[in-house]
Amino acid sequence: MKQGQEEVKGKSTPSDEAMDCVSSSYVPILSADDWATIRDDDIMHQHSQIRNEEAEKMPFVSDKEPLSALAAEYQLGSPILQEKIKMLGEQYAAMRRTRGDGNCFFRCFMFAYLEHILESQDKAEVDRIIASVEQCKKTLQSLGYADFTFEDFFSLFLEQLESVLQGKEDSISHDELVKRSRDQLISDYVVMFFRFVTSGEIRKRAEFFEPFVLGLTNGTVDQFCKSSVEPMGEESDHVHITALSDALGVPIRVVYLDRSSCDNGGVSVNHHDFIPTTSNPAKPILTLLYRPGHYDILYPKLSAYQEHINGITDNKVYQQRTQGLGKFFCFTSCVMCFAMLMVSFSAVSKQYVI
Amino acid sequence: MQASRARLFKEYKEVQREKAVDSDIQLVCDDSNIFKWTAFIKGPSETPYEGGVFQLAFAIPEQYPLLPPQVRFLTKIFHPNVHFKTGEICLDILKNAWSPAWTLQSVCRAIIALMAHPEPDSPLNCDSGNLLRSGDVRGYRSMARMYTRLAAMPKKG
Repeated sequence: MKQGQEEVKGKSTPSDEAMDCVSSSYVPILSADDWATIRDDDIMHQHSQIRNEEAEKMPFVSDKEPLSALAAEYQLGSPILQEKIKMLGEQYAAMRRTRGDGNCFFRCFMFAYLEHILESQDKAEVDRIIASVEQCKKTLQSLGYADFTFEDFFSLFLEQLESVLQGKEDSISHDELVKRSRDQLISDYVVMFFRFVTSGEIRKRAEFFEPFVLGLTNGTVDQFCKSSVEPMGEESDHVHITALSDALGVPIRVVYLDRSSCDNGGVSVNHHDFIPTTSNPAKPILTLLYRPGHYDILYPKLSAYQEHINGITDNKVYQQRTQGLGKFFCFTSCVMCFAMLMVSFSAVSKQYVI
Repeated sequence: MQASRARLFKEYKEVQREKAVDSDIQLVCDDSNIFKWTAFIKGPSETPYEGGVFQLAFAIPEQYPLLPPQVRFLTKIFHPNVHFKTGEICLDILKNAWSPAWTLQSVCRAIIALMAHPEPDSPLNCDSGNLLRSGDVRGYRSMARMYTRLAAMPKKG
């Protein structure tokens, strides 16, 4: 057998340095344990080492910092940015950085949303998003995803959602939420949950998303989802944000901090609100700070936040009122029905009498 | 660790269900270690690998499915994207384009697709890649065919 190989090799292989791959003697089948010879693994190993080194410098989700920390960062930077940061300070009090590992948007969304639920204890919102998550599950199933590929990620997110609601055995504190957001497994699983939800939404509404996808890459919606949404570490763009916001029905504000300025030299901080198509017009419940290539979390000043929380409670009161009103209507219509029935009945009975 | 074990167990059940449907792929889990799998895939028709059965070894990391399985050919194969000595496979979904939406089964399907559609511009086997890149399709096919006969088909007689 060996001889036969030698012959063919001599005839057809071009003489370059890679030739020794082929002309070397027949390599016996290696054992499955012998991974050391694989070069790409070494590369991947090196990648993960670099990632680990970076991880030590910054957790997935950092501690809250005053906005002055941002100002300090640009002390020697562009005057436009300094001006914009000053303006940000009028509305926002603090920020929370996330690790720049390509998952920052999803990581921001995870922490800011769960923190919002933890602080507002808005049960109606939790019920609403649980229904949306159920819908996303159906979307993935109808797209042909096998349940076992995504269900673990879904259940881990729902677990986190339940645990930030207080008054239960497994309720968690704010400190614990921070800790969990820094836990590799929990944090990555929740990020992956969002990636599945985002991909499902983009595929479901492929016709809508196609022109936006074409603007970002040259491929199809399917290729985009496979290469830029589903793999961990792939950065998010407006397509991802729109899809996630729509799928989960969560309005998001993104504040842009870049060096753009108006023609007349005036400076203003742009923002864009992603308002889900499915929900009623609503105020954004989370605010992210975007600097080209990276997202962090922004915290509105207490007064603004208080207003926002009041908005939610006002909404609830309104809902209760309308519900009360509904009951009232229900009651009155019952009475009316009964009265009419009585009238007609008496009319009928009168006819009989006559 | 626990999460990956649970997921692999689900895949194991799925593989048992799919067995009859996809006769081109036979995935077997190691008796004592759920992190080690072996696959036997049939060479796709109308390719020089047709008629051959190729053995793949899967080593699955503890962080699976967040990290991809490590897969390589145990059967010798002449293909631009497979390392001739080590059997290492150059396929994006096994590296940076991996996502948990893939399964061991769908990875096998992707490898079969790669066998039918080699990417000579990112070769791990330069000889094979150069044959295709220089337009010597006949040369590539005859080499690939020879190794299929030698290594992936039952010996005659």
